[in-house]
Amino acid sequence: MIARRVRYEIVSRAIGPMLVAMERWRRRGRGAGRPEAPFGPPLESTRKLKELTTLQYLAGRFADGAVPVAWVTSGFPVEALRPLGFHTVYPENHGAICSVKRMVPELSEAAEREGYSRDLCGYARADLGSVATGRTPVGRLPRPDLLCCCTNICQTVLYWYRALAAHFRVPLVVIDAPFVYGEAQPHVLAYVADQLRGLTETAERVAGRKLDRGALVETTRLAREGTRLWGECLRAGRARPSPWTGFDSFFHLAPIVAMRGTRECNAYYRMLRDELNDRVARGVGGIADERVRLLWDNLPIWFNLRDLSTVLASNGFNIVCTTYANAWAEAGSTFDPADPEGSAARAYVHVLLNRDLPYKLSIMKRLCREYGAAGAIFHSDRSCKPYSIGQIDLMGRLASEAGVKGLLLEADHADPRSWSQAQAYNRLHAFMELFA
Amino acid sequence: MREATISARKKLGHKTVVVLPVHYPRELFTAMDVHTVELWGPPGPPRGPDAGRIQAYACAVVRNALAFLASGGADAVDAVLFPHTCDSIQGLATLAPDFGGWGKPALRFLHPKGGDGIAARAFVRAELSFLAERLAALTGRPLALPRLAGANGLHARIDGLRRDLLSRRAFLDMPDPALYRLLRRGEYLAPEDHLAELAVAASGLCEERVQRGVPLMVTGYAPEPMTLLDALASAGAFVAADDYAAVGRRIPLSPPADGGDPLDTLAAKAFVMPPCPTRGGDQDVRMEYLETVYRRSGSAGLIVHVQKFCEPELFDVPAIRRRFARIDAPLLFLEGEFEASLSGRVVTLLEAFVEMVDARRRAP
Repeated sequence: MIARRVRYEIVSRAIGPMLVAMERWRRRGRGAGRPEAPFGPPLESTRKLKELTTLQYLAGRFADGAVPVAWVTSGFPVEALRPLGFHTVYPENHGAICSVKRMVPELSEAAEREGYSRDLCGYARADLGSVATGRTPVGRLPRPDLLCCCTNICQTVLYWYRALAAHFRVPLVVIDAPFVYGEAQPHVLAYVADQLRGLTETAERVAGRKLDRGALVETTRLAREGTRLWGECLRAGRARPSPWTGFDSFFHLAPIVAMRGTRECNAYYRMLRDELNDRVARGVGGIADERVRLLWDNLPIWFNLRDLSTVLASNGFNIVCTTYANAWAEAGSTFDPADPEGSAARAYVHVLLNRDLPYKLSIMKRLCREYGAAGAIFHSDRSCKPYSIGQIDLMGRLASEAGVKGLLLEADHADPRSWSQAQAYNRLHAFMELFA
Repeated sequence: MREATISARKKLGHKTVVVLPVHYPRELFTAMDVHTVELWGPPGPPRGPDAGRIQAYACAVVRNALAFLASGGADAVDAVLFPHTCDSIQGLATLAPDFGGWGKPALRFLHPKGGDGIAARAFVRAELSFLAERLAALTGRPLALPRLAGANGLHARIDGLRRDLLSRRAFLDMPDPALYRLLRRGEYLAPEDHLAELAVAASGLCEERVQRGVPLMVTGYAPEPMTLLDALASAGAFVAADDYAAVGRRIPLSPPADGGDPLDTLAAKAFVMPPCPTRGGDQDVRMEYLETVYRRSGSAGLIVHVQKFCEPELFDVPAIRRRFARIDAPLLFLEGEFEASLSGRVVTLLEAFVEMVDARRRAP
């Protein structure tokens, strides 16, 4: 245990940063790279983002047996885990990496051989396939001591984490966040707050130490600040031209998802915000020639982001706002360090995916108005039913009530086997012609 | 039959509520003179174009339900209840009332997903009170606790008879199609009428085993199409153990603790139900339960009968496969789309499965 802890600390505090510094030194003087048409100059911050992600996964390789390890869903109230020293792994984030690295078909087939249906969420299939085979693009994932799932993003995570708990034979904490129709009832908030207190007890038992309330307050403060900073980054996209693309934001939201409540997360977003604001001041755009501004709804099509963004940018179309990235800037703003559990209950219950369609429509209208989006692409995501059900009506209403033209693009956030590029691009080109 | 029942209840001045799957506190409705009619789809092709408002990769249950509601199929009723069953029904619960398809009151019932505990029990109690308030607004009458106590007792008797009929299936001289038609009439009959029917059927339970066919266990969402049971009977099998969400999973394992307050008793019922993936809970506990029921019923094979795109059921399939492979139990996996009738391919599959199970059973 002590040797493992020493190795973990050495990797995360010395070897990892040293490797990152060496890589930085190797690339010194190269800048972030020249603009590659049809895009604007690459963001300098992207390098730092890669360093953060690399360090996180590198440390993870040595985390089990050294520090308590928790596998958590993206919408889980992670603030109580940080002060207890948990190393957190985000299987959804890992699923996105698997998709970008084109490993999902292989991992998914492994899960399907175990009996998991191809109709299930691609992240879940990638994760369960990775668990079954040990294959991962990040080297190695640490074995969990605790599984933490919150139903505020979907019920899928509940079924997925039940399967993980049966596999790993470790405790599973479920924070059940009932769906909100209108506003959450007081008894719903009390229920979630009660569960959060229960989470602390379980996490303390697994971690073998007591939660320091002062540290929880500080983590909550940092989570609120991180959310605010992420919101400031996104709002830079209101400028014309937008200093980045919505697809960029999909990558840059990794820290607010996976490192929420840490100083590193907030330092990163200060840097990114400053760079974006500098680009705004200098009129530097995310794409070279921004003519039409669009909203993106639903998760990204991770395996096709580059191609898709190139097709859009080549035609002067920029995704300037996304409901997904924006969701991470909304709910967390209500974190209150004076009431960590109560405010977390309110924040985590009121996330976009846990709310009714009129709320989603109001957010879309607001984003289109504030970011000047004339059109919207609705990624009809086979892997994400809660995000996708209602999109057909949302698209119609956004058009009729806000004059925003919409396109429903059938795909999957992780699995390229559910993607028909020729068909999708035909539809996309026809959509773009509407703005000619 | 459903329409006739609704009409008869209306004449008595009772309100009627259509209920989406799966779990809901029917006792509360009975206590408040609200008649419930369950909507498990309905099966077959969607009634009207509104199914197209939901992508084809969502289950047929929500697509058909939206089309049914939007086409006026439930116009005779006064409200719809959407239990918090899964992402798709949760989505339907905002799509239909908020964006068109259902213009009358929409009720929701949220049940806890994280298993038993103080917080979960308090939440169920609070949700029941909240739903009672909504029903009071619908009926104009508040909940009377003595009436709820009576309703709890009535439904406990119904549950008891349903449990007897299913757990002593081999001793009941009634073919599966008839038994399931009887059990599923409980989805829309008035509780008193259903109780009377069940009592008649239960009086036919024999001392001796009367079912001689191949005993099988079924698990899944709902026995739809019902011709599946005809096919099984024709092949020489019968359902010896039932874990359908629509049937066996809604019968409590034991009577809930009676805490004096009937609302507490009703809340406690939520925690004595068989494991159901829509409620969350430990997967191992569910597997243990399935194996126990399988062994106790003397089943010789398991049919896993799920609906396409039904995540709660589908995520448990690998664990079921593993568990039943470990005990060397034959397993048939069937995936349907809420069809109106069974395809010839599935009938052949069932026949072959029953034949194989029977051969194994008879082998020395």
